Amino acid sequence: MIEPVALQDFFITFFSAALIILSGAGYAGLYAWAKLRGNPRLLLWAYACYAVLAGATFLLARATHLNGQWQVLVGLMLTGYLLVPLGIWKLCVASHGDENPPSPFL
Amino acid sequence: MNSIVTALPGKIASVFTRLDSPYLNGGQQLAVKYFSVATVLFFAQLLFGLLAAIQFVAPGFLFGWLDFSVNRMVHINAMVVWLLYGFIGSVYWFLEEESGTEIAGLKLGNIAFYVLTGAVTIVVLVYLLIQTGPGKDSTIWFINEGREYIEAPRWADFGIVAVMLVFFYNVAGTFMKGRWSGISGVLTLDLIALAGLYCAGMFYLTNITADQFWWWWVIHLWVEATWEVLVGCIMAWSLMHLIGARRKIVQTWLYIEVALMFGSGILGLGHHYFWIGTPDYWFSIGGFFSALEPIPLVAMVVHSVYDAGVHQFKSRNHPALAWIIAHTFGNFLGAGVWGFMHTLPQINLYTHGTQWSASHGHLAFFGAYATINIAFFYMAVQKWRGNVWMGGELPGNGWKWKWAMALLNIGVLGMTVALLIAGYEQSFIERAVEGSTWSGYFSAQNHPWFQQAMHWRLLFGLITIAGLVLLIWDLMTIGKGETRPALQLSEA
Repeated sequence: MIEPVALQDFFITFFSAALIILSGAGYAGLYAWAKLRGNPRLLLWAYACYAVLAGATFLLARATHLNGQWQVLVGLMLTGYLLVPLGIWKLCVASHGDENPPSPFL
Repeated sequence: MNSIVTALPGKIASVFTRLDSPYLNGGQQLAVKYFSVATVLFFAQLLFGLLAAIQFVAPGFLFGWLDFSVNRMVHINAMVVWLLYGFIGSVYWFLEEESGTEIAGLKLGNIAFYVLTGAVTIVVLVYLLIQTGPGKDSTIWFINEGREYIEAPRWADFGIVAVMLVFFYNVAGTFMKGRWSGISGVLTLDLIALAGLYCAGMFYLTNITADQFWWWWVIHLWVEATWEVLVGCIMAWSLMHLIGARRKIVQTWLYIEVALMFGSGILGLGHHYFWIGTPDYWFSIGGFFSALEPIPLVAMVVHSVYDAGVHQFKSRNHPALAWIIAHTFGNFLGAGVWGFMHTLPQINLYTHGTQWSASHGHLAFFGAYATINIAFFYMAVQKWRGNVWMGGELPGNGWKWKWAMALLNIGVLGMTVALLIAGYEQSFIERAVEGSTWSGYFSAQNHPWFQQAMHWRLLFGLITIAGLVLLIWDLMTIGKGETRPALQLSEA
């Protein structure tokens, strides 16, 4: 059912798993920042982060022997991390849409 | 002697009555009582954690007097209980303001507080006074139920459920009497789940797999589902009162958070079912939903950047806002990064039950839950003092809260990294190289990396305690003598 990680792949497993989450946050943060500033260069950096995420996912998949049905997990992870920041950004704009930001402080 | 015993409840009550403040409503007076006991238990958590940490580097320390197993148990139980006290206190704090009416059954709520505090005191005393003995049916009822993290004996379990029912009555009754809102609806439903799930840890089964199966319902589904949602409700209310966030927005995001948290967190339970004798399909379910669990945390990053860019971080309570920011980082790193690093079964086979889990647990509990409670303590103390100024330009440039925050965060992060190194070494030597044998266990325990990591953990534990002492000092003194009023929020 599962094939455990090989001894020599321990570090790469921990490192790539941490990198997936960190680069996922980097992609999400830079994407939001790029949208906020209207800066296409930041958007490029965001996609660079996503490329790191994709690379790390590939490394993790190889180290943890994610074959067969586990590849669905890899695909969903990559799709989820690609689309969620876009969706959340749209929700942010929509939910704050009618906000005319006067200071809430008297 | 008899007169002392009879007078004791009155004397205890008078200690708590001294905490009353004319600036607070009834629910807030009760909340302050919960917060004060939470702070004492927070200190107890760190004290017993420190003793356990010393025993890692000097195993003979207090041997036969206060064994490691007892220290560890009290350390973790104190943490669970102080966090719950903090959450309950926070809910009582905003109950009247959120519902627009007085609390239903407040007197009962006050009695429940004394009953719960009395029960907690007795349970801890029994843990400390009866550390060893025969394991009989009566042991489960009166001494220790033997379930990790929820060791409270069964009489206390029933007491806890009774107190939770009173708490639920206070909350639901008050909203039914006053007005409902998105926050109150989510909160009330979450409390049903919170109380109901506790019952899953109250019965004993002779089949260890079946027993563990239900036990994880309490541990996982509390921490990675119902507690997250409860904290979401507390956070939603806090943001409205701290930075003037609009109700419509925080409620919308609360619904989104509930969907994401429950969507990934409920079946994320599967990552605890890898090695307890449950069927193989839990590998796939646990692995898949564990990979989804960090997505809500990544989503929060987008919203944080949006808010930071669109709004200025102007707040009426700087220490509270700083702790909320610490919460977002701590939750992301502790639960997201540290969790996912060792959650897939292919690697969890080696890391399960090593110091990896302790490393993840230290950062995740502190980051996700301790921080939000501390933020609320600062909000409470501000009003307790008469709604005084707690923005910038505090006396001494607010050095106490800033140093307390720095020491606590550095201390916990340092312990997390030290335990991570120890866990890595254990996974490698004990599990992978020596195949989880008895001799492998001792090889790993005596390895220099493990030993050095335990010394570093002790050092950072001391830094954490120094931070807590400073935090308590700050909470007792901040705003004292302050004459400037707090920033006033306009009606949203």
